[in-house]
Amino acid sequence: MPVSTALNLGYLVSSIANVPTHNGQKPLLLHGATSQSLPLLASPNHLLKLGHTKCSWRTTTPVRTAVAAVQSSDPSEKQESELKKYHFVVANAKFMLDEEEHFKELLFERLRLYGEREKEQDFWLVIEPKFLDKFAAITKRLKRPAVALVSTNGPWITFMKLRLDRVLQESYEADSLEEALASNPANIEFEKPDKWSAPYPKYEYGWWEPFLPPGSKPAKV
Amino acid sequence: MTMAAAAADMALVKPISKFAGATPRRMSLIYNDNNNNKSGSFSRRSSSSRSMIRMMSTSAPTSGSGAPPRQSKKASKQGIKETLLTPRFYTTDFDEMETLFNTEINKNLNQAEFEALLQEFKTDYNQTHFVRNKDFKEAADKMQGPLRQIFVEFLERSCTAEFSGFLLYKELGRRLKKTNPVVAEIFSLMSRDEARHAGFLNKGLSDFNLALDLGFLTKARKYTFFKPKFIFYATYLSEKIGYWRYITIYRHLKANPEYQCYPIFKYFENWCQDENRHGDFFSALMKAQPQFLNDWKAKLWARFFCLSVYVTMYLNDCQRTAFYEGIGLNTKEFDMHVIIETNRTTARIFPAVLDVENPEFKMRLDRMVEINQKLIAVGESEDISLVKNLKRIPLIAALASELLATYLMKPIESGSVDIAEFEPQLVY
Repeated sequence: MPVSTALNLGYLVSSIANVPTHNGQKPLLLHGATSQSLPLLASPNHLLKLGHTKCSWRTTTPVRTAVAAVQSSDPSEKQESELKKYHFVVANAKFMLDEEEHFKELLFERLRLYGEREKEQDFWLVIEPKFLDKFAAITKRLKRPAVALVSTNGPWITFMKLRLDRVLQESYEADSLEEALASNPANIEFEKPDKWSAPYPKYEYGWWEPFLPPGSKPAKV
Repeated sequence: MTMAAAAADMALVKPISKFAGATPRRMSLIYNDNNNNKSGSFSRRSSSSRSMIRMMSTSAPTSGSGAPPRQSKKASKQGIKETLLTPRFYTTDFDEMETLFNTEINKNLNQAEFEALLQEFKTDYNQTHFVRNKDFKEAADKMQGPLRQIFVEFLERSCTAEFSGFLLYKELGRRLKKTNPVVAEIFSLMSRDEARHAGFLNKGLSDFNLALDLGFLTKARKYTFFKPKFIFYATYLSEKIGYWRYITIYRHLKANPEYQCYPIFKYFENWCQDENRHGDFFSALMKAQPQFLNDWKAKLWARFFCLSVYVTMYLNDCQRTAFYEGIGLNTKEFDMHVIIETNRTTARIFPAVLDVENPEFKMRLDRMVEINQKLIAVGESEDISLVKNLKRIPLIAALASELLATYLMKPIESGSVDIAEFEPQLVY
């Protein structure tokens, strides 16, 4: 099965390249790596063409990470660009902002933690992000408007994928935060749920505002 | 976690022992008449490196506490009485566990997912969260009469359940150290969480001049043996159902603050995130063993465990309805909400789940509650043992029949998008 082959290959390559993936700290090696380095393994489209029907977006990440690490051992590449890697999970807005109440809890918990430990925010919610234009394979399976959770912390995004499950995971590079989190205007509206079994009210519309990229205007109802 | 899971032999449902008066919980409580022996001795925070948590209780009861000392002392000498629905202690085949997590043997282990989880647990979101204040004792003192008794039982059952998780995870963390250090460390960190939860609940019990002798429990309780596969199903469900129970109570009380009779509920919002994360770990564990998720046997087991966990919780809670009503909840509505949400969550990993929103499901649950109540009534009657058992037979048959009918209801196909066959048709 192509998917497991890709997984095994990724695992093999990453063990050879000895890329530490825990603690969310991407080694410096990755900076300067671009997706053109090794087209055979880096392009998600290639995996699709292998003919399997189950596309686990996760598979691209370990392969690309490992490949990039091997590639960037060349010192001249390290200095060049200030490209930062951004990881994301994406799904339609209704799912991300209206249906998954535990998701809101996780984000607030993380924000609280960052406050307690005086850590700079490295995760955002982007409504109708511009970077989706790079991912045709994702957008054709996506209901719009779409919302992405973006972070520079790769393992955390992997965790969020595990938690949310019904999302697509990918990553991209950008050389500034504004570019990374650029978005198109969108109208977000949710209907009241026809079935509500809880003895408490729903979380209020607009709970996501603290997580929007800096400088975002609040969403209109 | 709240271990509402029943054992595999659900067909042998035994009547639940009487709720009011001398209850099963009493057996493991230490009640001490030593006066003025407060503080210090029970303020220890249990760390995950300790295998036993010893707590001692304090001064003489306040009047009208509803916990007569003589009765509890007598009951503690009788030993531990357990029923099918009592929170359980679990053990498993640790050798098989080691094989399952051996990265050389098992190529399905997604190390990226486990390492992401490890990072999440290492973050320790609730490190500084479980801090008590004087409101606890004040609130406890105000609670008198039947509510006080029910409350104590809630604390005690929750503490036992959390502690049960602590023991299992700690042992797994120990045993898997060499085989898979990442997974072992996650288990140890989870046992840290459970110890914290159990300790906090036990301190709550001390507000009522009681405490669980967890050391005694560790040695004296019977342990239910589950093969690793069943541990995964059962524990996943109990963690996720624990999350939904705690968060529902929290949010309900936030909307209805007049029912906040005891400060512990305010901690539930952060607390339940721990439970939710524990469930995520089991989700990853199951994905790492696709044989537990991908065939018709897996579907049958998935449905079976959903059924056991939901029914156990429903029967338990309906028996203790005074507690939920005491905090302003409609017990059955609360339970149905928790079941519906837990089921929806579980559909993200189990290959099949029950159709809990089908009205037939609740109807059958309610019938089981009635049968259970009759069983309890038989147990409490004045008849001799033989007559009681004869009376129980048709009731047990009726219960088994309802359980079977519920089990056979058409299930809902489900599963993680990483594995499920229906994934290609999904639109995100």
